[in-house]
Amino acid sequence: MIKLSGLRVAFDSGFRLEVESLKVREGEVFAIIGPNGAGKTTLLNAMALLNRPAAGTLEIMGKNALSSANMLPLRRAMSAVFSQPYLTNDTVFDNVALPLRLRGLRDAAAVGEVLELFQITHLKERNAKTLSQGESHRTALARAFVTRPKLLLLDEPFGALDERVKESIIRDLRRVIKISGAAVVLVTQDQEGALTLSDTLAVLVNGRIAQQGEPQEIFARPVSREVADFVGVETILPGKVASNQDNLCSVEAGGKTLMAVSSCVAGDNVFFCLRPEDISVSLNQDAGGRRNNFKAKVASVAPWGLEYKVELDCGFTLQAAVTKQLVDGLGLKPGAEVYASFKAVAAHLIKRNL
Amino acid sequence: MEFILEGFRKALHIILSGNPEVFAIARLSLTVSLAATAGAVLAGVPLGSWIAVKKFPLKKLLIALVNTGMGLPPVVAGLVVMLFLARSGPLGFLNWLYTPKGMIIAQFIIALPIITALSISAMQNVDPKFYNQILALGASDRQAIWVCLKEIRLTIVAAVIAGFGRLVAEVGAVMIVGGNIRHQTRMLTTATVMETQMGNFDMAIAIGLVLLALGFVVNLALTVIQQNKVLTR
Repeated sequence: MIKLSGLRVAFDSGFRLEVESLKVREGEVFAIIGPNGAGKTTLLNAMALLNRPAAGTLEIMGKNALSSANMLPLRRAMSAVFSQPYLTNDTVFDNVALPLRLRGLRDAAAVGEVLELFQITHLKERNAKTLSQGESHRTALARAFVTRPKLLLLDEPFGALDERVKESIIRDLRRVIKISGAAVVLVTQDQEGALTLSDTLAVLVNGRIAQQGEPQEIFARPVSREVADFVGVETILPGKVASNQDNLCSVEAGGKTLMAVSSCVAGDNVFFCLRPEDISVSLNQDAGGRRNNFKAKVASVAPWGLEYKVELDCGFTLQAAVTKQLVDGLGLKPGAEVYASFKAVAAHLIKRNL
Repeated sequence: MEFILEGFRKALHIILSGNPEVFAIARLSLTVSLAATAGAVLAGVPLGSWIAVKKFPLKKLLIALVNTGMGLPPVVAGLVVMLFLARSGPLGFLNWLYTPKGMIIAQFIIALPIITALSISAMQNVDPKFYNQILALGASDRQAIWVCLKEIRLTIVAAVIAGFGRLVAEVGAVMIVGGNIRHQTRMLTTATVMETQMGNFDMAIAIGLVLLALGFVVNLALTVIQQNKVLTR
């Protein structure tokens, strides 16, 4: 659907986006995540043919997307939704019909159909400027889908919406994406959304793609400290590999020896990475076969989404996710003495340069 | 004081009795200024939008020039047009000097920078992200500009009102290019000047009142168009 290589986009401000290669397959949901200012929107705008790359090739639906002659037809084969709905000062019906009119079409039935899909039929005579935020976003989505695009570009959609409204819109969006079979490129800061929605994930850091692949793979084995930070690895400890026996490494970090499954060799300087959900907290010393087991003191307990984040002091600091049941059951509070354990396969080592 | 009241009384009489000459002059004034405004809108709005949307070298210089043109003295515009249309001038063969066509050209030149400059600033006020969104929905550049113009129609009509207001009140250019010839190129403004100088205050006041009424009626019509479908808070 999209093939891109050696793409460079430069700005007067000095910011440069450099993407060596990227591929979006037909029908897949491709998510681009990364911190603010990483160039996510710039990359999406390049795909939407809204900015002119300084170098590189961009192929969309098998056509050279950088040739001026192909731009308008390609733009008409796809559609885009941005974080703001950007509706015109007309009725909801006229807004949704706009992309059809731009193509010289009048098709009230198609408009009626998408209004129905996004459950806004009752609003069709309303002026779009009088809508609530949620209704505006639904209108923008209906407008994007009315032409049955083969490729949909979403830039931080609904970033500003409150959770409840967002959830219901995302549910409808997911349903419509499935029905339409469109390929979707989604730019977001919401890692959880990216993890649940996407087939492929790319992490953008400082204008470059730091890692791309299956979301589970990236979340479990980030290639750099920046990626690890961004995909929710809460414990990142600098250390040094002391030995490696059959890919079981012992790592000196924080004055302790930790075990990790990795191909790093003795002497490598590494970051020892651990996701919060991979740490078990218990009151007795039995680690149940987990190779890493440390006596720890609870430093803090704080609500974290549906769970609690517990900071543990084992000589080094661990961040663990613990259910409310367990927090109550174990009586976890600052100062409590517990045991923290985790498997060597759950740990991930990233080589670091000194 | 007496002569002012007397002038108003006679002026009302002239208007109410339907003096054919006054109304012929009013019709010509309206035709010339409306035609010049329409021409300036047809050229200036697309030109201004294009300047606002496109990136090109010396864009700021061009905008500065257009902005300067807003203050172009009508007598200078009239003089230049007169020199071009004069028998020995480059466009002398048209024989448009001292005709309504010549006056329309002169007024067009006065209104063009006004409409263009106001269109540039109105268009530059449109969020570039809004413009990009319209492009991303499959619009060509021209279609995207059209969608944006509909969004900023309030400001565009305000530009039209400003342009027409300037033209209908303008005297210098039409005086030079038209020559204030009776039954041919006499406008409400040039007639007012002439009648005042001749001491015919009743006629001057009558024509002045018609001029005011004309401005009001046209602006009323434009304002109705402008305020159509405007959301009240």
